[in-house]
Amino acid sequence: MSMRILSSCCKMSDILAEGVTIVEDINKGREPISSLEAIYLISPVEKSVKALINDFKDTVFTYKAAHIFFTDTCSESLFAEIGRSRVAKVVRTLKEINVAFLPYESQVFSLDNPTSFKSFYGSNPSESKDTMIENMAEQIATLCDTLKEYPAIRYRKGLDENAKLAEEVNRRLTAHKADNPSMGEGADKARSQLIIVDRGFDPISPVLHELTFQAMAYDLLDIKQDIYTYQTTGVGNSKEREVLLDEDDDLWVQLRHQHIADVTKKVTELLRSFCESKRMCTDNANIKDLAQMLKKMPQYQKELTMYSTHLHLAEACMKTFKASLDKIIEVEQDLAMGTNADGEPIKDPMKSIVPVLLNNDIGPFEKIRIILLFIFHKKKGIGEENLNKLIEHANIKNHSTIISNLQNLGCNIIAGGRNSGKTLPARKERTESTYQLSRWTPTIKDVMEDAIEDKLDKKQWPFIAEPAPINTTQTTVNSARFGHWHKNKSPSEYRSGPRLIIFVIGGVSHSEMRSAYEVTRSTDGKWEVLIGSSHILTPNGFLNDLKSLDQDSVPTS
Amino acid sequence: MRDRLGDLQLFLSESPEEARPSEEQSPEEAQPLELYMFQGEDEMEQIYKEAQLMQKEMLMLKLDVKRLGKQNTRFLTSVRRISSIKRDSNALGRDIKARGEAIYARLERLGKRSKELEEEHGAASAVARMARSQCVYLTRAFHEAMCEYNRAEMLQRENCKTRIQRQAEIMGREVSREQIEEMIETGKCSLFSDNLLLEGRTARSALTEIENRHKELLELEGRIRDIRELFFQMALLVEEQGCMLDNIQANVGQTRDYVAKASAQIRQAVRYKKNNPCKKLFCCCFPCCR
Repeated sequence: MSMRILSSCCKMSDILAEGVTIVEDINKGREPISSLEAIYLISPVEKSVKALINDFKDTVFTYKAAHIFFTDTCSESLFAEIGRSRVAKVVRTLKEINVAFLPYESQVFSLDNPTSFKSFYGSNPSESKDTMIENMAEQIATLCDTLKEYPAIRYRKGLDENAKLAEEVNRRLTAHKADNPSMGEGADKARSQLIIVDRGFDPISPVLHELTFQAMAYDLLDIKQDIYTYQTTGVGNSKEREVLLDEDDDLWVQLRHQHIADVTKKVTELLRSFCESKRMCTDNANIKDLAQMLKKMPQYQKELTMYSTHLHLAEACMKTFKASLDKIIEVEQDLAMGTNADGEPIKDPMKSIVPVLLNNDIGPFEKIRIILLFIFHKKKGIGEENLNKLIEHANIKNHSTIISNLQNLGCNIIAGGRNSGKTLPARKERTESTYQLSRWTPTIKDVMEDAIEDKLDKKQWPFIAEPAPINTTQTTVNSARFGHWHKNKSPSEYRSGPRLIIFVIGGVSHSEMRSAYEVTRSTDGKWEVLIGSSHILTPNGFLNDLKSLDQDSVPTS
Repeated sequence: MRDRLGDLQLFLSESPEEARPSEEQSPEEAQPLELYMFQGEDEMEQIYKEAQLMQKEMLMLKLDVKRLGKQNTRFLTSVRRISSIKRDSNALGRDIKARGEAIYARLERLGKRSKELEEEHGAASAVARMARSQCVYLTRAFHEAMCEYNRAEMLQRENCKTRIQRQAEIMGREVSREQIEEMIETGKCSLFSDNLLLEGRTARSALTEIENRHKELLELEGRIRDIRELFFQMALLVEEQGCMLDNIQANVGQTRDYVAKASAQIRQAVRYKKNNPCKKLFCCCFPCCR
C-alpha cells in the first residue's frame, strides 16, 4: 500500500531528481546493493517488518544503512522485534509519517482496501471485522492528522457499524491529537466535521448510468488502475498508447465532471483555437488531422497528445452509449427520480422495464441495474414472487444473489422481509436545469449541503462528542493568504477554512465524488468538501462485490 | 510525524547480548563477501557520471534559453544597434542548437548503453532498471528544456507582431494580424510597397522600424525551422517511452525476485567441503601417528 501512496504523490522523475536511484518492492527478493543506503517506506505490518529484518540478517547487509518510515503507528511488539534484530544497529532514521491513505484526487481519498466491503457487509460474520474497523479508523485518523483537522465526528444512525467506526475514529483521533496538538487549530477549524455514512444510505448512485465524463469512462470502458489504453497514429507508427488519467493532466481535471455532450464540443473547440493560434490551417480539427499536425509541429507534442487522448476517450464513450444505452438510461432516470422528463410521476414502471428485460442484446448487469432501480423505486420493496418473475424474464438466474445480497447493506428489497420499514432518505427538490438523461443527483449531495449550513438533523446524524461552540463566523482572511507561497499541489494543509470530510463505508461512486467538487464550488471556497472511502466504485465492480457477499470470505494472507 | 529513533536506541542499550554471538561467526564467513557484492557497481558509477554531466549541460542549455529571452526583450525596447542585438540573438540560437544536438547524441548513447545492460544482466536486474530510469528522466528533462525554448521563441514572435501592428497604426494604417501572418508566410513586405508616396520623416522611420521587425520575425522563423529536426527526434523518443515509465507503481510492478546466481552456492559448497573438519583432523593425526 505504501507503494501506491508514493505513486500517487510523486513521479519517478521527482524522486530521481532528489537522488534516489531505484525503487523496489520489499516483498520481492532484491539484489544486495551494499554501497547505497536504503529508504524503507512501509506499513507497520508483520510481513513488511520481517522482510526488513531479513535484509540485515546475514553477515553482509543488503544495504549500507536503513532509513525507516512507517505509514502509521507501529505496534509495540513489532517495534520490539526491530529493536532486537541487527537492523537496529544500522538504522539512521525511524519515523512514523502518519500517511496511511491514498490521495486519489485533490478532494478524494481512498483507503485502498476493497476487501473491506466483504468484511463489513458479508453474511457470514468474520472476526476480522473488528480489526478491519480499527485499521480503517487509524487510516482515517492519519488523514485528519495530515490535514491538521480535528473534526467533530458524526455518523448516520441506521447501521451499528457506523457508530462503532465513529467511536473508534474518535479514540484514534484523540491519540493523534496528543502527539500533535496543532491539529484542528485555526479560526474556523472548530466547524470541521467528519461524517461517516454507509453504502446502504444511497444504493442508487453506484448503480445508475452516469453521463459525466469520468463516471462514464470508468463505467463503460475498461480502465484499470486509471490507465486508459488506445490505438494511436502518432509521430511514429500506429501503436497502443497508455495514458494515466490523473490530476497531472490539466485537461482531464477540467473535463472530468462535465457532461459528455459538453466534453466533445469543448475538446474540439479547444483544439481548434489551439491550431489557429499556432497557425495550422485545418478546417475541422479532428483525430485524423492530429497526426498530421504532430508531424508538422513536433514541439507541441505534449498538448496535441493530450487533445488526442481526450478525443479518443470521448469518442469511445459515445460509441458504447449509442450502441445500446440511450433507451436504458431514459428508463433508469425515470425510475430513480420517480418522475419522467416532464416532471410527471411515472404511472406504470413495470411497463417500461419489461421490454428492457426481455431484450437479449442487453447484458445481464444492465438488466440487474434496471431491476434494482425498479425495486428502489417501489419504496416498500417488492414481493418475492414478483422478484422471481422479473429474474425469469431477464434470464439472470445466476446473478440473482446480487439482488438478495443488497439486503446486507440495509436496503429494503423483499416486501416484509429483513429490512422492512427502512426507506431511502427523501431527497431535495432541485430546480437547476440539467440534461434530460442526467437528472439524478446523489443523495450525499443533500447531506453535504445540509451539513455546511448546519441544518443536518442531530437525531439522524448524531455527534460522537458535542462540537465546540461555534463562535463568530468572521473568517480571518490573512491566514488564507499565508499559504499561497506554497504553489505545490497541496496548499490544503494551510487552508484556513473549515472542512467537511465524508467517509462512505463500502465504496464511493464517481457521481458522489463529483458532488464534493460541486458543493465546494458553490460555497465559493469557504468550505472544502473531501469525500472518500475504502475504494472507488464502478457499477460493475459494485455488482461483482455484491454477488459474493453471502459466500464465505476468502482467508486473507 | 513522530520520530521514534530514540525509542529504538533504548532497545539497543537494553539488549547488547544479542549482538555478540553473531560477531563471532563473522570471521569464518568473511570469504563469501565478494559473492554478495553488487555486480554492476562500476557500471552504475559510469552511468551516474554521464547523467551528472548531462544534467550540467542541460542546465547550461536552460541558461542559454533564459539569456535568449532577455535578449529578445532588449531587441524590442531599444531602438539602437539593432544589428548587434540581432547578431547576438542569432549566435545564442546557434549555441542552443549545437548544445541541444550534443545532448541528444549523448542521450542516444545512454539509451544504447541501457539496452546493452538490459541484455547483459536481464531486464529486471537492478543495474538495467537504474539505467533505464536515468534515461527516461534525462529524456524528459531535455524535452522540458526544448519546450521552454519553444515558448521563449513563440513569445518573441507575438511581441514582434504586436510591435508591427502598433507601428503600422502610428503610420495611420490598420493592419490586422492575419495580414501580418501573410507577410511572414510570403516573406515579402508587399504591404508597404504602396506606401512609397508617404511623406514625413516619422512615417519613414516607422516604416524602417516595421521592416526591421519583419526581418527579425523571418529570422526567428528560420531558427525554429533549423531546430525543428531536433524537436522531431525528441518527440519520437518521448512518444516511444510513453508516460507510464514515469509512474512509480508501473516501475515497481516490473521488478522480479532476485535469484542469486547458483554458482555462488556451489563455490561455497566446495569450500566447505575442503574445510571439512574430519579431513583436517585426519591430516593432523597423520603426522602424529608418524
